[in-house]
Amino acid sequence: MTEIIGIWIAAFLTLCMFSFLYKDNPFYKFAEHLFVGCSMGYAIPLTWYNAFIPYAYNPLFLKKEYILIIPFIIGMMYWLRFSGKFSWVSRYPIAFSMGIVGMGVPMSMHANVLVQMRSMMLPLNNINTILIFIGTVSILCYFFFSKAHTGAYGKFTSIGIWFMMVGFGASFGYTVMARISLLIGRIEFLLEEWLHLL
Amino acid sequence: MRFSESLQKLDRRYIYIVVALAVIIPLIFPLGLKTYTTTPVEDLYRHIDAIAGRDDKAILIDFYHDPSVMPELYPMEIALIRHCFIRKIKLFTISFWPTGAPIIEMALSEVKEDFPDIKANVDYCNFGFKPNALTIPIILGMGDDIAKAVETNSEGSKLEDLPIMKNIKNYDNIQIVMQISGSTSGYLWYTYARPRFGVDVGVGVTAVMAADTYPFLQTGQLLGSMGGLKGAAEYEKLVDIFAMKGLDYSKKKARDIAWGSKQYSLSNIPYKYKKARIGMDAQAVVHVLIILFIVIGNIGYFLDKRAEKRKYVK
Amino acid sequence: MKRTIPLLIVIILGFLFVAYVFIPHKVSADFYDWYMKWIKVIGPFAVVLGVGSLIMVHTSKIKRKAPNWGYSMVTIVALVITTLTGFIWGIQEGTPFMWIFKNFNVPMGATMFSLLAFYIASAAYKAFRARSVEATVLLIAAIIVMLGRVSIGQAITHWIPDATEWILNVPNLAAKRGIGLGVGLGMTATSLKIILGIERSYLGGGK
Repeated sequence: MTEIIGIWIAAFLTLCMFSFLYKDNPFYKFAEHLFVGCSMGYAIPLTWYNAFIPYAYNPLFLKKEYILIIPFIIGMMYWLRFSGKFSWVSRYPIAFSMGIVGMGVPMSMHANVLVQMRSMMLPLNNINTILIFIGTVSILCYFFFSKAHTGAYGKFTSIGIWFMMVGFGASFGYTVMARISLLIGRIEFLLEEWLHLL
Repeated sequence: MRFSESLQKLDRRYIYIVVALAVIIPLIFPLGLKTYTTTPVEDLYRHIDAIAGRDDKAILIDFYHDPSVMPELYPMEIALIRHCFIRKIKLFTISFWPTGAPIIEMALSEVKEDFPDIKANVDYCNFGFKPNALTIPIILGMGDDIAKAVETNSEGSKLEDLPIMKNIKNYDNIQIVMQISGSTSGYLWYTYARPRFGVDVGVGVTAVMAADTYPFLQTGQLLGSMGGLKGAAEYEKLVDIFAMKGLDYSKKKARDIAWGSKQYSLSNIPYKYKKARIGMDAQAVVHVLIILFIVIGNIGYFLDKRAEKRKYVK
Repeated sequence: MKRTIPLLIVIILGFLFVAYVFIPHKVSADFYDWYMKWIKVIGPFAVVLGVGSLIMVHTSKIKRKAPNWGYSMVTIVALVITTLTGFIWGIQEGTPFMWIFKNFNVPMGATMFSLLAFYIASAAYKAFRARSVEATVLLIAAIIVMLGRVSIGQAITHWIPDATEWILNVPNLAAKRGIGLGVGLGMTATSLKIILGIERSYLGGGK
């Protein structure tokens, strides 16, 4: 019974959302606000059971690792974010969490720049490798604004534009696919689970 | 009003109705179009299937998304879990999104009902939700010791006490990390886990991001990828062709069956395991429709432009 | 005290982590273990930032009786009920917490994004114009990919999926790599700016 009620509620809320296609209306607004509340409501119990209890409560209170009282207090400083006078205190846990960004400097450089560059240094022994090489270099030149894009250099950077247009075209094609897939999923739900037509 | 002008000023709501019909009709009356498999998806299947029945290897699926992109990503997750359960591949699941964790529960329970022998914490283990602030620490920590980094499963049990953790220590025992994502295509895994610990990374992404994965596929930072509903449909099909028949993967056979024959019969397959393939019929129709929209829209634009030009000359 | 010490914490930890990547020594491994243990205790408290700001925004709307304040009430009630069901009945499959997720969150979230299918169809008709040679190239690439990713493309001719694969593996790859290299350098620069104390926006406003 609860399953059937659930499906009817889900179908009603789906239609509330679709009603926005006609125009903005109270049904859509209701569903939109309900969605925000429900989504945020998940974070609290999930964090409590899956993170706070195993990582903070158990080690400190059950295993009696009392040194962890310090990060516990630092964590509680987040709560002062919303107090007008002491909101600056919440910068301490934020700063502590941001420290790991340091690791991102070499690692992001490695993953996103060095490895990508290394694969550009392969022997140019076939037409595709040559095209990838020309395309990448011309795009990098296009985004180099310290030199005017004129003459032979300008012509070379315009090759970059062509490559980018093909890339954007591919992304657009895929974007159409993505959006349609989401719609198919919802219509499948209405036809199969709600109306049993499939 | 001129014809070209009326073409240009068509009310958008007519377009909406046509799109809705183009989705509904092929879903009710399927066209039975084929699903062709592609290399990035085949690579993923082959790599995961290679550890079938092994006790010292597992795969980890990171559910890095919320329900908004479920129609695209959920069929991938179902297909991956089904593959693991059929072929006795140890499976771990984790989510760094609060609204991703219930999706794990949904997917596991949906597949598990067809596999009564599969046991939680023996054949698979759900690590559950871990706060986003701990993503990098946990990703890095698992390189040394998974049980120490994750500590507990979704039910609060200590990982080190679970039978599934026997012979599983760190990334050396993880065949591949699959990130199923609607926002990043494996970025944190190939930036932090792969260079440091050498773990293989694969992704299942929304089609919006699929084109962005190609540079990383070429460098090997990503071992394979599933892009959108099409990727999910391909994986569903590979599971049916090989895993369901207890066969080892072979590229030749995949291509022969997936490409050569008529649509692989879907009649005996439960709906939840063919959802993506059914959806691909409607996908094909709407793609053609959108192309028609682009063509008609451009015809209207050029006719209008020509008429304007003539008016100006007069 | 209010800004300088947090900045110093970021700078010191930032450099220690850069060093940790390059120096495989027991001291750096110990530092890393210590940080991991502490950050796992601190991390869960961060949930208060998202939930707190949502509650602040909506309660203030309700208090002020701002236009449409009734909808803010819906948000707060939904938040409270979802949270309570999680604490009272647990968060496992089969609980009311999961029932709410399946029947409220999933349909609303997925439908909200599926609306974009209609908008993109409308945009394809009304805005996707071959106004220049570059736009035409974009348009042709998009059409080939759209056809090549579905089986109709293969049914017409195998050239279409082959062309799609080539577009994705060659010009698309070059384009995404060229842009990605810029993004990668930008991300490294931003990380550096953070650990050098130049980028401070994450600390929030005020003194």
